[in-house]
Amino acid sequence: MLKGKKTLKVALAAIAATTLASGLLTGCSAGASAGTITYLTVQDSWTHADPQRNYTGRDIAWFGSYLNRTLTAYDRAPGAAGSAVVPDLATDTGKASNDNKTWTFTLRDGVTFEDGSAITCEDIKYGVSRTFATDVITDGPTYAIGMLDIPSAADGSSTYKGPYSTDAANDTASFDKAITCSADHKTITFNLKRSVGDFNYTTTYLSFGPVPKAKDTGDQYDLKPVSTGPYKIKSYKAKDQMVLVRNTNWKADSDPLRAKRAFPDKIVVKFGVASEVLDQTLLTDKNKTAVSLDSLQPTNLTAVFGADGKPVKKYADRAINVYDPYVTYTAVNVKKLNCLPIRQAIYYAKDFKGLITLLGGQALAGDPADGVIKPLMGLDYAKTGFASEDKDWKPEGNVDKAKTLMDQAKSECPALYARVTDPKQGLVYDAPDSPSNKNASAIWIAALARIGVTVKFNFIEAGKYYAVVLDATKQGDLSRAGWAPDWANASTVIPELFTKEGGFPMSQNWDDPAYAAFKQRVVANLSQADRKKQGAEWAALNTYAMQQMWVIPNVFSKTQEIWGSKIGGAFFWEPQGSLSFGDLYTK
Amino acid sequence: MNGLVTYITRRLGLTVLILLAVSFAVYVIFSLLPYDPAALTCGKSCNDPGIIAANRVRLGYDKPFWVQYWLFLSGLFVGRNFGTGAAAIFCPAPAFGYSFQQHACVTSLLGDALPVTIYLAVGALVLWLIVGVGLGIVSAKFKGKIWDTLSTAFVLVGTSLPTFLTGLMLIIFLVIKWDGSPFPSDGYTAPEEDFGQFLLSMVLPWITLAFAYAAIYTRFVRSQILEISTEDYIRTAKAKGLSDGVILGKHTLRAALAPIVTMAGLDFAGLLGGAILTEAVFNLPGMGRLSLTAVVDIDLPVIVATTIVAAAIVVVMNMILDIAYAFIDPRVRV
Amino acid sequence: MFSKEAEQKITGHSPRELAWRRFKSNKVALPALVIAVFIILAVVLAPVIYSILGIDPEARDANAIDNRGEIIGDFGGISWKHPFGVVPGIGYDTLARMLFGARVSFLIAVSATFVTVVLGLLFGILGGYFRGKVDGVIGRFTDFLLAFPQFFMILALSAPLVDRIQRSGIAHDNEARILYLIIIFSVFGWPYLSRIIRSQVISIRERDFVLSARALGASNTRILMKEVLPNVWTPIIIFVSLSLPGYLSAEAVFSYLGVGVQPPMPTLGVIIADSTHFMMNDATYFFIPSISLILLVLVFNLLGDALRDALDPKSET
Repeated sequence: MLKGKKTLKVALAAIAATTLASGLLTGCSAGASAGTITYLTVQDSWTHADPQRNYTGRDIAWFGSYLNRTLTAYDRAPGAAGSAVVPDLATDTGKASNDNKTWTFTLRDGVTFEDGSAITCEDIKYGVSRTFATDVITDGPTYAIGMLDIPSAADGSSTYKGPYSTDAANDTASFDKAITCSADHKTITFNLKRSVGDFNYTTTYLSFGPVPKAKDTGDQYDLKPVSTGPYKIKSYKAKDQMVLVRNTNWKADSDPLRAKRAFPDKIVVKFGVASEVLDQTLLTDKNKTAVSLDSLQPTNLTAVFGADGKPVKKYADRAINVYDPYVTYTAVNVKKLNCLPIRQAIYYAKDFKGLITLLGGQALAGDPADGVIKPLMGLDYAKTGFASEDKDWKPEGNVDKAKTLMDQAKSECPALYARVTDPKQGLVYDAPDSPSNKNASAIWIAALARIGVTVKFNFIEAGKYYAVVLDATKQGDLSRAGWAPDWANASTVIPELFTKEGGFPMSQNWDDPAYAAFKQRVVANLSQADRKKQGAEWAALNTYAMQQMWVIPNVFSKTQEIWGSKIGGAFFWEPQGSLSFGDLYTK
Repeated sequence: MNGLVTYITRRLGLTVLILLAVSFAVYVIFSLLPYDPAALTCGKSCNDPGIIAANRVRLGYDKPFWVQYWLFLSGLFVGRNFGTGAAAIFCPAPAFGYSFQQHACVTSLLGDALPVTIYLAVGALVLWLIVGVGLGIVSAKFKGKIWDTLSTAFVLVGTSLPTFLTGLMLIIFLVIKWDGSPFPSDGYTAPEEDFGQFLLSMVLPWITLAFAYAAIYTRFVRSQILEISTEDYIRTAKAKGLSDGVILGKHTLRAALAPIVTMAGLDFAGLLGGAILTEAVFNLPGMGRLSLTAVVDIDLPVIVATTIVAAAIVVVMNMILDIAYAFIDPRVRV
Repeated sequence: MFSKEAEQKITGHSPRELAWRRFKSNKVALPALVIAVFIILAVVLAPVIYSILGIDPEARDANAIDNRGEIIGDFGGISWKHPFGVVPGIGYDTLARMLFGARVSFLIAVSATFVTVVLGLLFGILGGYFRGKVDGVIGRFTDFLLAFPQFFMILALSAPLVDRIQRSGIAHDNEARILYLIIIFSVFGWPYLSRIIRSQVISIRERDFVLSARALGASNTRILMKEVLPNVWTPIIIFVSLSLPGYLSAEAVFSYLGVGVQPPMPTLGVIIADSTHFMMNDATYFFIPSISLILLVLVFNLLGDALRDALDPKSET
């Protein structure tokens, strides 16, 4: 998944053991049902409030906690237990049949929308249908389109165009066959075009949640979605605030996941707070019941966390510094940099220490990454022998080694060598526009200048960044990127990043001579039944990709969260990579 | 009287012409930019050329330029439909367009933002007129004395300090660092929601903005008064033995009023287009923030609308001032 | 204070001498002039200063910051080696960065002022001297230009026009951005000067020496060059002295909003925008650049005021 764009789906091998009980245990009994929690963010609005368009881990966690119920959900527990799937609107985590191609869920009794009307199978079916209206419902996850058994048109798009289409050719019939409802409107059946063994993880996405057709306002549903959770939207104005109040039609006994945890009476989100004001409000504990929705600016991190990475005494119980699911790296556009020694030279010349210092040091920024798979991935991770394990690699850069490689490049690929060393041309490095990336550019430029390579930075507005660089024609030579797996299998990493068909192919490596053999092994490994062997092979392919320098890895990254002193119940919710917002209460 | 009517009619006509020209120019400028407006409406899904093509048709970007401009103009008077089928959205007149990034008719966005900016501008205007005119009078009266020097110092700091620094320092030191600060740290409260909180949330923005303008007005008022006091009729008044206060109130200030009102009117009109920096620092959801985010997100319909509205306010204010002069001074009506 | 007439009767000096006398009598004028000259010299001679003090705007001093980017030592790391301290996180020498940044900022402000003056002079003289249709067209055009929300237009046009400049191949990267600022500042700046010049020219045009020159059959060009131009210097000098600090702070404001020159190239605005992130944690790094900008603008404003008072005594009386 994209850095900051999707959620982590860590599927645990043993799901069955974890039930609602564990959720109730962590539901802090200390929490009083009162008070107001104020969330602060620099953003002017939510990226999307429409459940079918919501695709950011943090936002899914927030809306899922307060407003949107789904068939299944991640358990709200700290540590690995949080990654277990539990029933939400459904009575269980789904029944698979027909070789995992048919999935059936039964709705609980007493589940309603905020107006008190019952949630039916048809409402969920309507909600899912909206995903197909890709011209109106933009930005959302498109798993429904990829998985449901609906034919594709000649151009590869679905023949079903969603509920808004007035086109007579719209293939509503196929959609009606792909999702069926029982006569009592309580059982929903999904018919998939291929086996999906963990479809009940997919249904944790809010995009598989219900939308009442009568209340659907198309694009504008993003401004006032109908709630199914313990709160409802009282007001929502971009650049100003959103206010949630209790949803009086929500019944706690229909919602074991959120029951006894809907603590505050009111929830306020303040949008558009200037970043410096936001950080200082939390640092000085100005608003004691405030929670930041954004990470602290790197410039303020050292005030909160000590050299060991732990919060200093003053912030001991209101800040955390944890590993998030991401690996950050510099994607190398192999199509343009089709010369291994140059890619290697960049890897050796990089000033890792300078970059990490800028972000508050290794304890806060994360450890040097040796590939694109994080050690957290267990089975799929093995040391690749790069970064800290590479005896030629130095944190501040190994200029001599890099120069040797540049000399080699001079004879091996003279044209490219001439371009990257020409001050008028040089390399183009894409990065999202942010103060820390702007400072980092200085360090990259200085680091590569040591080996005679010129770098020019192309700063792209953060919200548009991936849309631009994923367009092969607009991507530069190097691009800043980050990726986290969709669930605990590197099948959501290696093929996504390094094959032409992948969802995040920023390396554009398919013309590389080393690609054909790699691709063969990837395809073979995808259908490998032995999970252990499969894991070992992913680890080997990770090393292979590193040897080709298809990416220059940066860090196994960490994230920092901070909240006010009168906020209780905070813990890091691993699968969503954010705080478990629904468990917060005011002390 | 006839002359006045003719003058007003001509002035109105001219205003309409300038407005048309400005709206056309804005439309041209932003149409010529190297953006594909259709590709800006669908976020990440815009990797799909089919969707872009569909949106182009839906929003009328496939039509020739003149047709688009005509649709835009007619939308201002009769409203306009965006999209087709069940997902169509109708924006009632005056329709400036539909923002797909903010999911709302641009007119309703303007309707939300304009009051905030009006509150900001009115409060700041009152404040800077009181301070600026007051200090101007004081420093003119005590020319060369300590009060004059002090007010000159104020003027110089006021004109040299960029607004964003004034705002940032006020908010950091008067809101966050000060424990018992009455001012809110998290931005704007609407007056209809809680009037007391509204006032508290506006005090610092008013001061920030007024600080910069008051400096200019102090200088301006001072030089106006000094210039007028050398005029013959003031000397005559002095010779007649009128008190300083009477001369200042009855003669000098009255003469200085017209240029001050003109300047204030134009500055006020300019502010209504949005005080970008003040609004950004203090998190006020006014016109400045609306336009700033529109630029960052390349939200073309909003960019076009805010530019035209801001320009229209200035042009109309100019017209009002001119017509007001025509009432006062018949020589203008030529 | 003497009234204008009284002063002229008493002395028999040339206007230039009079102006200089008035300038000297202003208490702040000379110090402001000295400081302004000092600043300009420092900016022009920045490379010399680097070598004298042993500082370098591009060098990062790894010994000045620890491995979390925090400055070693108090007061922002001020020392003999780093007179203004260092930039936290990255270890640049603040003074060197500021000198380099000021060079870029001055380049923008001076060039924009120059272009503004050329345009303002051209259109002001055209309108004022030829009157009639030409004047009407220029007048309407300035009205039209002034109707635009300038601040916003500068923001909105930045990305697309910089892109245009780059694609046209005239300039690239930061050169293109600098060029954009110069052009856009000038485009929105000249109407003000042109109005002032126009009214000045109108009054000169009716004066005896111009009328007699015309009666003697002098050509328009000759009259313009010999009679009109030498008489518009006063408003130009005043305009320049006030627009220079205006453009300097405009550059800072637009940098704060992310428009204009991009790091790692510094300008005063870029440094200040960066320093606001350190407002609380590194007060030294925050205050030094901001106060420097304020002083810089202050000094030029003072100088401008003094020049105006000296050259155009009516405004002061």
